[in-house]
Amino acid sequence: MKTLLIKTHEVWLEMLMAGFMSHTQNRQTLYDFSDILFRHFTWIEHEMIERKEAYDYDRDIIPIKVDRLSDMLKAITTHLLDLKLQLLGMENKALASRITSDLTYMVSVLGRMNDEVITAFSMERQMPNMQLSEEARDALTLFLFDESYKEYELIMVYNYLKAHSDDAYLNRIFQILIDESFFHLKCFGDMMAKMGILAVPRIIMKELYQVEDVVKFLKDGIEEELAAKEECKKLSDAVGNDSKELSDFFDFINAQENYHIDLMKDALAYYARGAHE
Amino acid sequence: MSMDAMVLDHMMNPKNYGTLPLANAEGMGKNPQNGEKVVIYIHVKEDEIKPYIDQIAFQAIGCTTTIVAGSMLTEEAKGLTLDGAKNLVEATMQLLEKLPPEDAACSEMVALAIKAAVDTYEARKEDPDYPSITYQVTNDCTPKEEANNENTAY
Repeated sequence: MKTLLIKTHEVWLEMLMAGFMSHTQNRQTLYDFSDILFRHFTWIEHEMIERKEAYDYDRDIIPIKVDRLSDMLKAITTHLLDLKLQLLGMENKALASRITSDLTYMVSVLGRMNDEVITAFSMERQMPNMQLSEEARDALTLFLFDESYKEYELIMVYNYLKAHSDDAYLNRIFQILIDESFFHLKCFGDMMAKMGILAVPRIIMKELYQVEDVVKFLKDGIEEELAAKEECKKLSDAVGNDSKELSDFFDFINAQENYHIDLMKDALAYYARGAHE
Repeated sequence: MSMDAMVLDHMMNPKNYGTLPLANAEGMGKNPQNGEKVVIYIHVKEDEIKPYIDQIAFQAIGCTTTIVAGSMLTEEAKGLTLDGAKNLVEATMQLLEKLPPEDAACSEMVALAIKAAVDTYEARKEDPDYPSITYQVTNDCTPKEEANNENTAY
């Protein structure tokens, strides 16, 4: 089942990246499918925890540089079909059947999708309808690479914590943080594709999500959110002269971090009073 | 960071990122101030007159600048003898002396991780159970302006 988890992880990210690449109505379908694949990932993970099977979030490097969407869809289809074969060996037949049904439908829809020319790897670093100075473009580029990875990391860390917790209060907080990070990852991935610098977030080191001290993790996390707020403010200032639209967006992301900090403080207080035990 | 096409390519497709299951040594570079770290894994091919690094990989908890430095320096280190790798580390450290500390810290962390991996390899020639070596950076990646603000806030 370990291979199944790894391959589901990889195809979830492939589908998400394909969504970023698309300029058409294909995009929403690809996003929806990537959300479904992430849920499959969590179900397989849960099954492994139930069966006390060791696992981690390691995976292979995912090549995504293509000229046409059809090339990406072909690769994804091959991987979905491989997953279906893997599922034949799953002991939990009900779960295998549920996932297989989703995969079969995805393969049929991908096969009917219209092709598109991909510009997500052009490296032009221009935002449509915006004239950014070189300084603003550099600042935005660094921010997008740093923060897209960070959001992926947060999704995986909070997902791991949630997978290993039966506490409804904490899991509500973790789920909100996962959802918020998904939103940010989609925003940043979309911008990276528009700028021609789309990339898959790098693999996460185990020590980041196999958290031994959750209290310390939450305290560090609050510090990181405060730093992220500062980065958003700097970026908003850097692009402010060139684009009010972009500046407003980063002010919006900055404000959202306040809520994340409150949630983490909430979780911290919950731990402090020992309510999770 | 100057963003030419080569740097962008390292950002989009970091070279040698990940672990190396067959590594015969590993080493860590660490920034104690912010918890960032780089782990270098090397496989030294030993059936030659002069052993050389035939495979190298890195993982990092750090920013994009660290990833670019890791990608570039591991590419440079691949194929070098152990002395060649030490020279690469020394040359990198000399180059970093010309940069502001906040710009140098990330590359220093990678260079020190390579040095730690090579030193671990050599130590394991004497003692196969020798633990992985960790070196800490001397440069601070907090820009001076921010550091001053932090100091005055207390």
